[in-house]
Amino acid sequence: MKDRRLLASFVVLLALACVPAVLRDTFLLRVATEAIMWVGLAVAFDVLAGYTGYLNFGHGAFFGIGAYTTAILMVRAGWPFVPAAAAGGVVAAVAAVIAGLPTLRLRGAYFAIATWALSRGIQQLALMMPATGGPDGMRLPPFLHPQFFYYAMLGVVGATFLLLWFLLERAPFGLKLKAIREDEQGAKALGLNPTLLKIQAFVLSAVPTGVIGGVFAYWVTFIDPASTLGDLVSDQALVMVVFGGMGTLIGPVVGAILIFAFKTIFWAYLAEYEVLYVIILGAAIALSVVFLPNGVLGARLRRGAPRPLPVPVTPAAAGAGKLEA
Amino acid sequence: MELLPQALMDGVMLGAIYIIIAVAFSLVYGVMHVIDFAVGEWIMFGAFAGFYLNRATGMDPFLLLPAVFVVFAVLGYLLQPVIQRVLSGKKGNPLLMGLVFTFGLSLMFRGLAQTFFGFYSLSIPSRFSTGSFFFEKGSFFLTVSHVRLAGLVYAIAITVGLQYLLKHTDFGLGVRALAQHKDAAGLMGVNNRRTSAFVYAIYVGVSAMTGVLIGTILAVSAKMAPEYTIFTFFVVVLAGMGYLAGVPAAAFLLGIIQSLFLIYLDPGYTLLAVFGVLYLILLVSPTGLFRKGV
Amino acid sequence: MAEPILSVESVSKAFGGLMAVCDVSFQMRPGEIVGLIGPNGAGKTTLFNVISGYYAPTRGRILFHGKDVSGDPPYALAARGVGRTFQVVKPFAGLSVMENVVIAAFLRHPRRADAEAHAREVLELTGLADRADVPAASLTLAGRKRLEISKALALEPSFLLLDEVVAGLNPTEVDRTIELILALRERGMTILIVEHIMRVIMKISDRLVVLNFGEKIAEGAPAEVASNRAVIEAYLGEARA
Repeated sequence: MKDRRLLASFVVLLALACVPAVLRDTFLLRVATEAIMWVGLAVAFDVLAGYTGYLNFGHGAFFGIGAYTTAILMVRAGWPFVPAAAAGGVVAAVAAVIAGLPTLRLRGAYFAIATWALSRGIQQLALMMPATGGPDGMRLPPFLHPQFFYYAMLGVVGATFLLLWFLLERAPFGLKLKAIREDEQGAKALGLNPTLLKIQAFVLSAVPTGVIGGVFAYWVTFIDPASTLGDLVSDQALVMVVFGGMGTLIGPVVGAILIFAFKTIFWAYLAEYEVLYVIILGAAIALSVVFLPNGVLGARLRRGAPRPLPVPVTPAAAGAGKLEA
Repeated sequence: MELLPQALMDGVMLGAIYIIIAVAFSLVYGVMHVIDFAVGEWIMFGAFAGFYLNRATGMDPFLLLPAVFVVFAVLGYLLQPVIQRVLSGKKGNPLLMGLVFTFGLSLMFRGLAQTFFGFYSLSIPSRFSTGSFFFEKGSFFLTVSHVRLAGLVYAIAITVGLQYLLKHTDFGLGVRALAQHKDAAGLMGVNNRRTSAFVYAIYVGVSAMTGVLIGTILAVSAKMAPEYTIFTFFVVVLAGMGYLAGVPAAAFLLGIIQSLFLIYLDPGYTLLAVFGVLYLILLVSPTGLFRKGV
Repeated sequence: MAEPILSVESVSKAFGGLMAVCDVSFQMRPGEIVGLIGPNGAGKTTLFNVISGYYAPTRGRILFHGKDVSGDPPYALAARGVGRTFQVVKPFAGLSVMENVVIAAFLRHPRRADAEAHAREVLELTGLADRADVPAASLTLAGRKRLEISKALALEPSFLLLDEVVAGLNPTEVDRTIELILALRERGMTILIVEHIMRVIMKISDRLVVLNFGEKIAEGAPAEVASNRAVIEAYLGEARA
């Protein structure tokens, strides 16, 4: 059954690869490229959020780090695009390790606060450092070739999706993550090191995001802290995944497409009401949590809700913690 | 160097204000186990409420504080059941979902604020705004502005009030019981829903009041919210989550950092310094300065 | 005694002002079954948690195969050959029985195919092989307890900590579990078991260690311990209170 879904994914990717041949309108091609970008960002976000239960409220920071790394390497060091974008992923990975080491061994609440604060700190830093061009941002060497960027984005996101699919659904790694998500304390007794696994998941979520940021930078040619390191990337990724369904890899794809569709339509017709967009985003998050706790897709893919234990016999079973007598 | 005592004193007075937000925030965390990402927004809305009420009625913001408290406490009381519903949900991690919910709320509020209040930075005028006490002794001088002093007095009053509420009333007993052991407290007759609702109401009311204070002493703007959310997190994490006794020290530290940067360095770096210290604390002693956090 | 497999040396564990375990010492030979008993709140589970690495001892040491493992995290102990079950049985929800065990099997069999093969063997031993692909959450309590044991066994431990593995089971299920435990001993497993059901623990233990209020009050063969005054008082005292 799993292989059927994988086959379906291949078919979809193949179909997507044919799009530029069919779609001549460069505007629509750009929209498609951006849609694919958001799918990638949402899926990368879900690696940590859905599979470990740790929400990175500063996911956009990896995107921005990747974008700026690529920009700086291309503009100030003359690197070609591909290595520069790859470096974006590497730097994002390093950032993930630095941010994750102290915070992932703590509970989710601390991690949420820390990542949120850190991502704002990085934006602050970019605004002040001369190397990043400060609030004026940076201009990359222009390269106007919509088809190239479509394929670049599709390549990165497609490869990411397949890699994550393999790691999270087929390889031992995914099962181990699910174990620590379900019962971290119990998992330790089975030989799993939760902090190490969480850091690995965090890095896995950071690298594609960084690379996507790098591609984005070269694609749009101009980046600045407000657009690239602002809240919007983090917030949108969060909505897409919460709305679509966490921990399923497909849920974020659905969520990304739906929210992106909404976003595009909104900006096409209601661009004057930009603050309204933020309000709607916030409302979408809040309402999804209340009314769609498993996301649009999550409820259907879950393998049946766990039934409650029969009447507890020992006092411990009646709600005490796992480690209590 | 002559400015150092000034900076320290300003810092302490500012810190006093942060204490009350942090205490209220910690109470909510202790009773409902939720981190309210919207704390900065409550502060901001309170500040704007103070600003517009002051403009409409001409009353001094310090006199408006009780009114602001009541209005926002009611809002908090009405909102709390929604949060409660999220927290008792059946999805895997209700606590985290509570966090996401308050995060969504904070986004909504920020957008609403930008819609209605624009991007300007305002200040609430008060009869205390212009005066100050001036101390001089040799080369050592201190300016104590009236408005900061009034703020300090109010902060002390509210802290004492909260302390009294917690330690000497039945309600406070219920709150402490609930924070320690939810099920046992329920068995003893503490009404979880109502107590939680009241705690949240008090927290929102107090945060809004503090917003008025901040708006009078410093400034109000639609962009101020995330900064104060971070400040609150900073104080609460440094104090140790759930450890109320650690709050004053952490709050004063924050106030002093903020004042030092205001006087000596670029205020823009304040946030970076706060992030830096926060990161270090999480690295070295996540249970807070006194290692008593949860 | 020949090199003891487990050596608990003057272990104390305090939580703030509360001394949950106080200066407890005992040793275990390879291949023996030791029962840890005592009234409720005596500190048995806390001691388990210290031995299995969830708590570091406030004082004292834990030696496993002669090596000091005090304060090592649970996953390090698992790698050394310590397996444990939990009182509050909570299988990994959303995963099948097989997947639950495979996760444990990964410790010694990093490749998925090997791990699955090994997991199947374990499930054969514990009698869950026919239910391998059902969601773990749909098992009855007895099934869940067996799953708990299966997961610990998949680690290929040399030492097993069993925490109330028969509580809540009906007599038939209890007997089957006893058979399983004795079969494990036949294969050379050393077992430390906490249990409240007296007939079980008396039947299978080679020795008993009795705790009360965190302290060891008796140690010896089941018959001796059963007639020990201090032990009787500890239990009667509890019943009276």
